[in-house]
Order: sequence, then C-alpha cells, then structure tokens
Amino acid sequence: MSVEEWSRVSTDAFNVALFAYVAAMLGYFYHLAFRRQVVWRISSLTAYVGLFAHVVSVVARGIAAGRVPWGNMYEYSSLLSLLVVAAYLVVVEGIYRLRTLGGFALAFSVLTMAIAVEFLYVGPGPLVPALNSYWIKIHVVAAIAGSSLFALGSIVTILYLVKDRLERASAPPPIMGGSVGLEEAPPHFEAGSDEPAAVATDRRGILPSAAVLDRVAYRTIAFAFPIWTFAIIAGAIWAENAWGRYWGWDPKETWSFITWVIFAGYLHARATSGWKGHRAAVIALVGFVSLLITYYAVNLWIVGLHSYAGVS
Amino acid sequence: MSSATPSPPRVTLLRSVAMVWRTLRSMRTALVLLLLLALGSVAGSLVPQVGTSDARIAAMFRDHPLRARIYNQLGLFDVFGSWWFTLITALLLVSLVACLVPRTRALVRNLRTRPQPARELESMRHYAERRVAVEPDRALAGARRVLRRRMYRVGASNGSGPPSLAADKGLAREAGSLLFHWSFFLILVGIIWGKGTGFSGQATIVEGQTWTEAHANYDGQIHEGRFFDEDHTGVRIHVDSFTATYRIPSGIPEDFVTHAELYDPSGRYVKTVDIRVNHPAEIDGVKFYQFGYGWAPVIDVRKDGKLVASGPVVCQQGPPPPGVSPLQLPWECAVKLPSLRPQVGIQLRLWPDSRALYALLSAGKAMPMLTEYAPVMTYTAYLGDLRADRPQSISRIDTSAMRPWTRGVIGAGQTVSLGRGLTISFPDLRQYTVLEVKRDRGLWIELLAAILILVGLLPALYTSRRKVWVTAEPDGSGAVLKVGGFALQRRPQFEQEFARLVDELVRSSGANEGSKERVHAG
Repeated sequence: MSVEEWSRVSTDAFNVALFAYVAAMLGYFYHLAFRRQVVWRISSLTAYVGLFAHVVSVVARGIAAGRVPWGNMYEYSSLLSLLVVAAYLVVVEGIYRLRTLGGFALAFSVLTMAIAVEFLYVGPGPLVPALNSYWIKIHVVAAIAGSSLFALGSIVTILYLVKDRLERASAPPPIMGGSVGLEEAPPHFEAGSDEPAAVATDRRGILPSAAVLDRVAYRTIAFAFPIWTFAIIAGAIWAENAWGRYWGWDPKETWSFITWVIFAGYLHARATSGWKGHRAAVIALVGFVSLLITYYAVNLWIVGLHSYAGVS
Repeated sequence: MSSATPSPPRVTLLRSVAMVWRTLRSMRTALVLLLLLALGSVAGSLVPQVGTSDARIAAMFRDHPLRARIYNQLGLFDVFGSWWFTLITALLLVSLVACLVPRTRALVRNLRTRPQPARELESMRHYAERRVAVEPDRALAGARRVLRRRMYRVGASNGSGPPSLAADKGLAREAGSLLFHWSFFLILVGIIWGKGTGFSGQATIVEGQTWTEAHANYDGQIHEGRFFDEDHTGVRIHVDSFTATYRIPSGIPEDFVTHAELYDPSGRYVKTVDIRVNHPAEIDGVKFYQFGYGWAPVIDVRKDGKLVASGPVVCQQGPPPPGVSPLQLPWECAVKLPSLRPQVGIQLRLWPDSRALYALLSAGKAMPMLTEYAPVMTYTAYLGDLRADRPQSISRIDTSAMRPWTRGVIGAGQTVSLGRGLTISFPDLRQYTVLEVKRDRGLWIELLAAILILVGLLPALYTSRRKVWVTAEPDGSGAVLKVGGFALQRRPQFEQEFARLVDELVRSSGANEGSKERVHAG
C-alpha cells in the first residue's frame, strides 16, 4: 500500500476508535446511572473494539510516516488517549474490578482525541533533525505512558473527592462532639498508614466507596511516578546528546519538573498526618493541571526548544 | 513577682537553633518547600528568562519600564539563578539532611538487630491459631523455612516460654526511599564537579579550516568553571564540509551534518566523524555538538593588483521580522580594510540562491533559499573611519564615521572594480558550521545518581513492610501454631497474604488437625 493509503487507513481507524469510545462512554454512564449489567458488558466490548481500531490507527500512521508514530502533537494526543483507555481497561476494570468509572476515563480520551483531530492534525511526514534520535522511542513513550497514568489517577481522584463529600454529608456526626476534626482524620485512614485501612464494601450510591477510589487513585499515581521520573531522566540524556546540556530550564523541562515536584508532594502528603485524604487529593489535582499545561500549553503557547514538537 | 511561678523557658540561641532544626525536619516543612519550588519554577517559565528570551526582556524594559524594574529587582528574569530560588533549594536540601540522617541511622540499627519477639499475638490485627500433628520444635523449623522462602528475615526464638520466632520483611522500602533521597546529593556533587571543572563555548569553523580548542579561539561567550585552571585541551577539528538538507519545497529541515576530522593535541589524526544534531562527536572528553550554520563567501580584495584581503568572510543573519522565515532572509557580511587611507568598509548582502533576490525584486515575493544556486551579493562600500577603537560586529560595518562611496552587485566567479584601484572578486561560496564545544566531567556522576534514583524509587513505592510472629505451644502429641501478623502498608492485601502464609505454615509442618482462626478488625 502507498503512503496515502496507509494514511487514510490511519484516519479511518482513528474515527472508528473515536466513535466506539463515544458509544462506550455513553454506555458506561448509562450503566453508572441504572446499573444494567448487560449495558456494561456491551460498553466494555465496544471500548475494546475502539482500542483495537486505535492501535490499527497508530500503527498505520507509523507505516505512513516511515518512523515511530509519536513525532508531533496530533500523534502524542492519539497515543495518550489510547494508553488512557488501555490503562483503564487493564488497571481499573481488570485489576480492581471497578465497572463504574469507564465513562470518566473514556470522556478524557474522547476529549483529547477530539482536540487532536480538530486543532492539532498534521499529515504524516519525516521528523525534523532535532527529533530524529532513538531517544524519541524511549523518552516520548515514557512521557506519554506516565501522562496517561497520571491522567487516569487524577480522574479517579476527582471521583474520590466527589464521593468523599457525599459520604461525609451522609455520615453521622462524631459522637464526642466537635473535638475530633473530620479534616484531621478521615474516617477510613489509620494512623501511620499511607492508604485506607479496609475496603469498605459500600454498595450504596452510584460510585465505589471513597476508600476504594482513593486506593485506586494512589496506586495509579504511584505507578506513574517512576515512569515520569524515567521520562525526565531520558529527556535529560537526550538533551545532553542533542543540545549539549542535560538541563536548561526550557519551558517543557521546567513544566515537567513542576509536575514531578507536585506529584512528589502528593506522595509525601499521603504519609503526612493532616494532609492525607482530602488535601493530598487536592495536590494531585494541581499536579493534573500542571500535567495538562506541560502537555498542551507549553507546546502551543510558550516559546521554547520543544516548540517544534507542536503543530507546525 | 513571685518566684514560685515557673518562668517560661528563656529563648536562648541553642533553643532557637533546636527549634529551627525541628521545624526543618518535619515533613510538613518539606512539603511546603516542595510546593514553593514548584511555584518558583512556574514563575521561571512564564516570565522571559535571561539567556533564552533576551529580546522579550528588552521589549519589556522598553514598554513597561516600571514593571520590568520590579521584576528585575525580584530576580524574576533569572529565576533559576536568583537568591530566593537558591534559598528554597538549599532549605529543601537541609531539610532533607535533617530528615535523612536519623532515618538512615534507624535503618542501620534495624538492619543490625534481628526481628524482635512479641507477646500477646492473640490481640494482633492479623491472628490465626492452628493445630498441627508434629511437635513444637519441628513445627517451628518448618515455619522458619517457609518464612525464609518468602523473603522474611527470621529472628532467633525467645529464651523463655514456648518456642517462638519473629520475622519481618520489607526493609527495602525504607532503604529504597533513603537511596532515592540521598541520590539528589549525588546529583549536586555531579553538577558542582562537572560545571566547576568544565567549560563550554561555541566555535565557528568555515569549510576547509581547522580549529584548535583553546580559550582565544571561541567566539562570543565561553563559560569556564570555578575550579577550571586553564587546562584547555588543544584538540583540533578540521571541517571538510557542511551540508544542510531541506525538503523542497516545504523548507522543513531534514539534516544538518558537519563532516570533520579530529586530531589530538600533538596533531595526530584520530578519527573522521559526522557531527549531526543528536550525534555529537567526542575526543579527550571534549564534545562537539551541531549547533548552527551559515554562509561564508570567499572574497579577495586587490589594490592596484596587489592582494590586501583574502579568504572566507563569515556572514550572519539578524532576527527575522515577524512572519518571515530566516530561510527567506539574505545574509549580512562585512569586509573591513583598515590598512587603506582612507579606510574602506564593504557591507555585503549575500543571497545564496539568486532566484530569491530576483523574485523579491520582480514580484515582491519572499522565497526560501534551501540550496545554493548561482549565489549573488549586493555590496555597499564606505569610505572614512572604521572606528576600530569601538567594539566591532563581525558582520556589520560601523558607518557612523563613514560616507557611502559606491554600490553594486557581484555574482559568484566575478570580479568587480570599485574605483580607486580597488577590485573585489567572489571566487567561491562556502559554508561555516557552528559547533557547541563542551567538557563536563560530572556527567557520569549524574547518570549514576539518576539510575540510583530509579533503583531506589521502585522498592520505596512498591514493597511493603510486614512483621510476622509464630509461636508453637505443645498440645498433646502435636502443637498449636499461633501466628500474628502486622502490616505497615497495603493492609488490604495483607489480609489474603496472611491467610495464604498461615496455610503454608500448617502444610509445611505436616497434617492439619482442625483449626481455629480469628482475624481481628482494628
């Protein structure tokens, strides 16, 4: 097949994936609201179909361009949303067996893909010299994998905050009166622990219990953190090769560092009394915002050495 | 004024220091410092920084002088070199030391001592009781094997009472965490050593020329480390040719490559290299990185037939106006003849692809110059004083004390007479390459530190600390195994882990004769 044909295959498969994700997202939300098992099954199946089409799209794109399919913003966005869906299906549905969060994960992917195809699309082409290095395989993959897991963890963190609020609103007031501040000791935490004690099997309400959401969020972010650390290190090694310095406070470097520092703060906060639970979750959300700035704003609006990785 | 009331503790220097130390040690302080570090970095990415956005800083001083002055006072134009950013980093490191030293001591103590026995296993959060058919000592020996296989450290049994053992695992968590944190100091060592003993600068080398690594041969700024004692290496690089490849017609760059030979300080040939973006060349710890390139027309100037200046002239480009690509801009170069009376300066404008000049003149259209094609130069000659006493630009002539004399066009291979017996010829157009030249001996230290950071991070995040105690009490012909467990992390998982462990303990000590099991919550 010719370059144009592969390129078309990639675009078509991308659209199939996008539609499948939208359909699966709606199904997941329907399941969340009305608890129809069969709807969940169909949604999950649709998400897998979308994921398959998405993989086809990314591979075809790589063949069309004759290089790794992550050389510009459109391609990063496509791969990022692919990994978020994959991480959701494997981690949240596969390992934690939570079936009610699919709509939120897919909503993030759908949004990312819509922005990619609407604003960031460029045709397949060769890499500019600065990007033409084997480090692109390592650094960019690690950065996208880390981002997708941070994103997933942050989505679950948002749900945790919502659910936590609902649970507190319905919880009976503390027996001993006001001497025990709820802010200081969230009910599901034990002293000295960095995670909730027991998995409360709370089947009331439409979301898993706050304790479960908190645990999933923490695990996902703790999984992402070393990958992100590695991405920064790989980026520094690449920068040393390309520009002759491993660190230069270029905006992309600075923001990836800020994101790293904030999530490091999150991991520390979970081991600090008075910060775990609600406050740590807020730090994770700040980290998520920083991640989005690292990802979008730096490439599109802030001038720096990574600008070429943008849309032009 | 009764002496009976206890006076508040006097604020002494020692007490204040102790208080500051305690504050620095707390995780809360570290957390706040981390977030401040992030906040400072945000400022550094939003405000234009010295070195990367000098033009934007200059524009700000022009358009908003007051704001620019305030920013400047606060160090916002050089955040990462400012006193307050350094202070935050330093405090964070001090806080880290204050926290790490006692933790490292505790870990060493912990590693030296065996797991400690415990009493009242029954009241533990995880507890199980099973009857087994073998006598207590053999049951315990089996338990010891199982725990060892499961990577537990097993301590000696208690002297008094029934045979028992204590076991724990997961010290790698703390060890990893400490390794992760200490490694940041290793990075600091690498930076200080590498930058301190290293140097970096730029070399401009025309095709066909040889450049020697020595202080005087760098153009513009050269950074030499604080502990650098002028031991420039003297290695040499000979540039055969430079090639820039662009896609036609889009003008997307495809490849920049300097073909060069490297020589050691004694002039002995070492190797032939292609220096590309992403592919630096190295000799004697000195690295050459592809940084930029430009054009260098060869120009011969004769006065009454006698050569007065000859050789390649390095041309440069000013910043392009908005909306114009650098590829569409002509190149500026200058020929200065200070030995003539009056002095002569020739300002040149090079169009490597003459079609771009004609397109501009005939249709007013800007065209990118992607390859060399019948190159042509326009020139303006000046007479007067070159002002050699002032700082000079290599590509511009200071015309403040000169008057225009004559102007014209010269193509490659042509010779043109300017009058007054002066002729200029343009026999050849070459390119020059700009290489970043650098030595940093701290790189391997930083790489090592980076690896240690990752190595430490994995156990710090993914292993968990567990403690297990086993007692075997005689019971008729067999024994009753009492197992207590305690998990510091991932408690939900330990629930199942503990149950599986108990099963295995029973299996390893022979037949199981009925069991009682209790698992407490809280």
